Amino acid sequence: MLVLTRKLGESITIDDTITIRIEKIRGKQVRLGIEAPRETRIYREEVYEAIKQQNEQSTMANQDSTRAVAQLLKKD
Amino acid sequence: MRVQTTRFGDIEITDQDLFEFKEGLLGFGHLRQFIVLDDPNDEIFAWLQSCENPDVAFPILEPGLFYDTTAIRIPKSDIEALGLESVAKGKLFCIVTIPADPTLMTANMKAPVLINLETRRARQCVLQDNSLEIREAIFAKLQQRVVQNPAVNFKPEPEAVHAVKVQRDLPDAEL
Repeated sequence: MLVLTRKLGESITIDDTITIRIEKIRGKQVRLGIEAPRETRIYREEVYEAIKQQNEQSTMANQDSTRAVAQLLKKD
Repeated sequence: MRVQTTRFGDIEITDQDLFEFKEGLLGFGHLRQFIVLDDPNDEIFAWLQSCENPDVAFPILEPGLFYDTTAIRIPKSDIEALGLESVAKGKLFCIVTIPADPTLMTANMKAPVLINLETRRARQCVLQDNSLEIREAIFAKLQQRVVQNPAVNFKPEPEAVHAVKVQRDLPDAEL
């Protein structure tokens, strides 16, 4: 992993299109400003991981589980 | 064109039935082409089926069935990336997770799937709003919906989404 040290207000650029700037530092929190093309998808990692995991769990369902739910709902 | 699926066998489709996820879904970035399947043995769910991996399919529901859709604000960047004027011009789905106890099933409100029905492009959008749950419990809400209106139709209009009907394969006794 590449590790860089930056001061408040300084930036790094990635390729020609992405700039990440240190906007604010307060205690243990750092605020980043990110400029990137519209199609770049940027997530907080824990959100990304949680959604990824949820997607994976969703594919565990099979046709029996959906049919069972459908029957259960229509019965009550 | 023939698509292999683990759950529903081989399915014959046309190019018009395909949806393209340019960026894939989160964790499934390598899978780009999907179809919507309509299982006649189930009156609730549609399936978002990968055309490239037979195992990968997600049960989906329209959020309006169990959620106040005005609370789901899709980022402008997602709407524009799909070439849509507004969310209403496309179709929105939530991916559902069904655990062993189906009454505990959940819908992902934080990352719904938006589809442009005209261009057939689609995207899993990640919303900023932290009040939207990745695991929103929905069984009771769906149940309520059925009680209020037993004839309620859960599935998307098959023509609108080009849903592909799969074979009915349950013996009559089980229906």
